[in-house]
Amino acid sequence: MPLLDIRNLTIELDTPHGRVKALERVSLTLNPGEVHGLMGESGSGRSLLAKAILGIGGHNWKITADRMMWNGENLMDMSTKQRRSLMGSEIAMIFQDPISSLDPAKSVGSQIIEAMPDNPDIPWWRRGQDKKLNAKKWLHKVGIKNPKKVMGSFAWELSDGICQKVMIAIAVANQPKLLIADEPTNSMELRTQAQIFRLLSKLNQLHNVSILLISHELDTLSRWSDRLSVMYCGQIMESGITAEVIETPYHPYTRALLDNIPDHSNPEYHKMMMETLPGSAPALQHLPIGCRLGPRCPEAQKRCVAQPLLCRKKNREFACHFPYHEEPCYDDTATKS
Amino acid sequence: MTRYLLRRLNLFLATSLVLILVLFVATSRFPVEHKFALTGIHSPTPEQVAQITADYRLDEGNLSQFTAYLQQRLSGNLGVSATSNQPVFDELVQVLPASFELAGVAAILALLCGIPLGVLASLSKNKITQHSIMAITLTGYSIPVFWLGLTLSLWFGVELGWLPISGQINLLYEIEPVTGFLLIDTLLSDSQYRMSAFTDAVLHIILPAITLAVLPFTVVVRITRTAMLSIMEETYIKAAAARGLQTSKIVIRHALPNALIPVLKNMGLMLGAFSSYAMVVEVIFAWPGVGAWLVSGIYQRDYTVIQGGILSVALIIIFLSILIEVMHTAINPISRKEMYATS
Repeated sequence: MPLLDIRNLTIELDTPHGRVKALERVSLTLNPGEVHGLMGESGSGRSLLAKAILGIGGHNWKITADRMMWNGENLMDMSTKQRRSLMGSEIAMIFQDPISSLDPAKSVGSQIIEAMPDNPDIPWWRRGQDKKLNAKKWLHKVGIKNPKKVMGSFAWELSDGICQKVMIAIAVANQPKLLIADEPTNSMELRTQAQIFRLLSKLNQLHNVSILLISHELDTLSRWSDRLSVMYCGQIMESGITAEVIETPYHPYTRALLDNIPDHSNPEYHKMMMETLPGSAPALQHLPIGCRLGPRCPEAQKRCVAQPLLCRKKNREFACHFPYHEEPCYDDTATKS
Repeated sequence: MTRYLLRRLNLFLATSLVLILVLFVATSRFPVEHKFALTGIHSPTPEQVAQITADYRLDEGNLSQFTAYLQQRLSGNLGVSATSNQPVFDELVQVLPASFELAGVAAILALLCGIPLGVLASLSKNKITQHSIMAITLTGYSIPVFWLGLTLSLWFGVELGWLPISGQINLLYEIEPVTGFLLIDTLLSDSQYRMSAFTDAVLHIILPAITLAVLPFTVVVRITRTAMLSIMEETYIKAAAARGLQTSKIVIRHALPNALIPVLKNMGLMLGAFSSYAMVVEVIFAWPGVGAWLVSGIYQRDYTVIQGGILSVALIIIFLSILIEVMHTAINPISRKEMYATS
């Protein structure tokens, strides 16, 4: 049974320009113990998806889904309170800007301790001490060399890398089953990035934490994730085992992404035009109907004004009427967008 | 931190010096005999004239006169009151605690009611609650305090007869001043009527305290609300929610401490307006505080009282606003971050 199974999730935002579908019919399946990469440009709704899974959407969101199953329970049917307790214990999230996701008026240590669960086996007067020890242990585990000093400092006194490690420590201290990492290494230097990714994959291997890794860098995702979903403009384009997706992309968007990776082996490369898809990603208030890649897609034809449903073949999923290397599923074309 | 404290101390000393300089210049411009304006002695004997001239070095240059003035005032010699012939300093010591008592009760009232209401206004999704809270605060903000004081005493004091409308306590009670704060003194006294005296003092303070609290209350509500609204959108609040904390816990532990920082800052900015409101309230309710004392001094052209009153009130305001700023820095780790960057 998959750990997280989302079918046809749609998020509509109320904006001054009217209601827009920021996410349209997104489906995502996450198996226990895997690192699932979610690839997308900025603005493609990756963070919205993550927040929708956690249930911390804004006040102008309208979320509809056929199902959103967590371990066999439907998240859509749960009350806010139930979801909060689920978030504390089973799902955790780390954000792309670690310094601003820590309360600036409180020491880092108190925030870690706050997130820790009470241990009912210990009498209540020793629980505080126990939590403190635990917090130190976790900080040490995520690779912070002087946990005591870090616990006494404020978030803005620490570097981005250390703050992200603290966030990871807070997230994993409850031993969650799923960790959502929303661009965990955004604006960090390469060495820190590598440390964070190594830490995440170690957590995945040692504690069997499933990770939903959100990023815009295809090479990072291809290196660290087991399965990959590619998102464009709020629609899932393709998903499957990372190696296979990269080897033989079915969807024109994935293919374009792979083709456009700069080739630095060619000495004349820096004098050539960079290959990209024509045009740019549409703004939220000017979304095309049907397949949102349509206007930019090299393979687009008349049929593309109807949104292709996600089609599952040979352990791969793709949403395209004219895929490469594979026949499309004709039976389940969406009639309405 | 030491450097910061020294800088604040320096600010306090410099501002006070300028204040005393202004008073010094104003005193020499008062439309009376200069010696009378300085000491309050109406018809001094020849010995007193010699003494005054020596004390204030009146036959020397301006700078020397100013240092002498500074010396006299700082050593506590504020002259004598022309109307009562008491030393101004003694009168000041008698009236200051009453003012502090009134201001303290009003401030506590404003904070205790204002902060929860501000939080409620920011968290409530109900448009009616939000708008009615905002309407109440806007009304309170725009009501002139003298009208409010008179109306309250007319309704609750005269027509309904629930509360006394003047003074600090019924004159029948004789309370030995220990701390000067009547609410504490009544409890400390060993008279057999001390509980009823305490109740009487509480009843007397209700109307003036409410009148004085209205303005800071509305400001606190509005600032708490705006601060909470912006803070609830911050990433760390979302992150705390993602950690599974309940909304009430998030508000109390993370949002409120951050929201109170601007409230504290604005309390410092409001001190001047607050103290002038306090004077008006003291006059309306015949509260025996420094404001009423100063205003009666002005009416009676009692120049030493005017000087003493202005000096003490201004010094207290300067001191408190610097104290609030220091407190703001001490309890607010974020402002220490700014200090990192500048120094």
